[in-house]
Amino acid sequence: MMEIIDLTWTQLAIGLAILILPAIILRKFKTGLLTKVGVAVVRMILQLLFVGYYLEYLFKYDNPWINVAWIVVMVIVADFSTIDRSDLRRKKSLIISIFAATFIGILIVDFFFLRFVIQLPNILAAQYTIPITGMVLGNCLRSNVIGINDFYYSIDQNLERYRFYLANGAKHNEALFPFFQKALIKAANPTLAAMATIGLVSLPGMMTGQILSGSSPLIAIKYQIMIMLAIFSGTILCVYLAIFFSSKLVFDKNHNLKHGILKK
Amino acid sequence: MEIKFSNIYFAYGENKAPILRDFSLTAKAGDVICIKGASGSGKTTLFKLLLGFEYPTKGKITFNDKELKSTQLTQLRKQSTWLPQDLNLGEGKLKEVFYYPFSFKANEVIRPGEEYVLTTFEALGLNKNIWDEEFKNLSTGQRQRVGLALCHLLSKDIMLLDEPTSALDQRSKERVEKLLFDKEKIIISTSHDPWWLERCTQIVELEPTS
Repeated sequence: MMEIIDLTWTQLAIGLAILILPAIILRKFKTGLLTKVGVAVVRMILQLLFVGYYLEYLFKYDNPWINVAWIVVMVIVADFSTIDRSDLRRKKSLIISIFAATFIGILIVDFFFLRFVIQLPNILAAQYTIPITGMVLGNCLRSNVIGINDFYYSIDQNLERYRFYLANGAKHNEALFPFFQKALIKAANPTLAAMATIGLVSLPGMMTGQILSGSSPLIAIKYQIMIMLAIFSGTILCVYLAIFFSSKLVFDKNHNLKHGILKK
Repeated sequence: MEIKFSNIYFAYGENKAPILRDFSLTAKAGDVICIKGASGSGKTTLFKLLLGFEYPTKGKITFNDKELKSTQLTQLRKQSTWLPQDLNLGEGKLKEVFYYPFSFKANEVIRPGEEYVLTTFEALGLNKNIWDEEFKNLSTGQRQRVGLALCHLLSKDIMLLDEPTSALDQRSKERVEKLLFDKEKIIISTSHDPWWLERCTQIVELEPTS
């Protein structure tokens, strides 16, 4: 194995120079994206710097309570991001249900993989808990946006159909079933597609990172398989719970979608 | 069995003019009621109020002498069938989407066999071949007939029909009359069709809102 080459800050700054190419292309086609690119790059650097320093601190102290607190913070950020990136408004009912769904989903998946698969002696060891939670959570966020958005948007767009079911004797869950089914399919598709092409079309980020930092490709692959299983299970679980919990809170007593749930 | 609207007022939004003012109606088993009125006079809104999709601003709706609140509304929805103007059963072939309402717990026992469904289709002038067609590819007239077949096969005590004959020819209308009219049922409909109006036991005209 080659030794790990640590990047100096100067080397990283050289890396930024590559942005000239996309910037020229985006400017030529007057996409209006240049400011957005600037903001996104600065945000990414600042956020990762913050996380980097924070993780150093987390790994140094490796205190289970601090680790849990960090997971809660990540879930809260993911909760608000899910709502903001979707067509939904920041309503208390949605904030609570998406938080609960994401937190429970992550807990189940984390517990299963850390306890039974990796078999950590200390289940909340920062080195494993934080990266795995982060990977699963990032994907849950994306799937939640797709799933929840599709669910509520479809009901709104097909209100007559939803009402037709209720008016013909459907219980609430029966009237919601076709919308739930479609939302789950849509939310599952990106991860399924990623699993089907992984290794052939793309080398996943986590595996690449492990190999670059000195792990053998075989170890990296085993971890990648585990993480894909965690991501897929986590996303389906989170989307299911988010729709299930929120559907208990955003409909009125006659099963009508409350006003002001969707941005429009 | 009785449905009663008593002095109903309704407006879409707090500052909007009411589209229903002091509306009252009583419907009993055997009644075939037609509500007529200009577009926007509140005909479809009456169905929405009865089915709990909108709430009256003032007034009361009762079903069997009990106010239409959660439990009573569930009861009414179990006993009713509603045909909207433009039926949407979702994506898929007709044979896949048609049976969904029969999978509801309230309707499980009345699930008809495929042959009986197709006989009903034929009685309404529908070709059996549409069973394998995508529902979204059916014409408005075909969807309306499919909806009427569904209403008949769901065999409920209360039928709420929004413009049930608007896309039907004379022969199909007569078939609809044979299939749906029943002395044990309440039929509340909206229509402008003189043929349908002639067959109703009660016609209620809604005043246009000014």
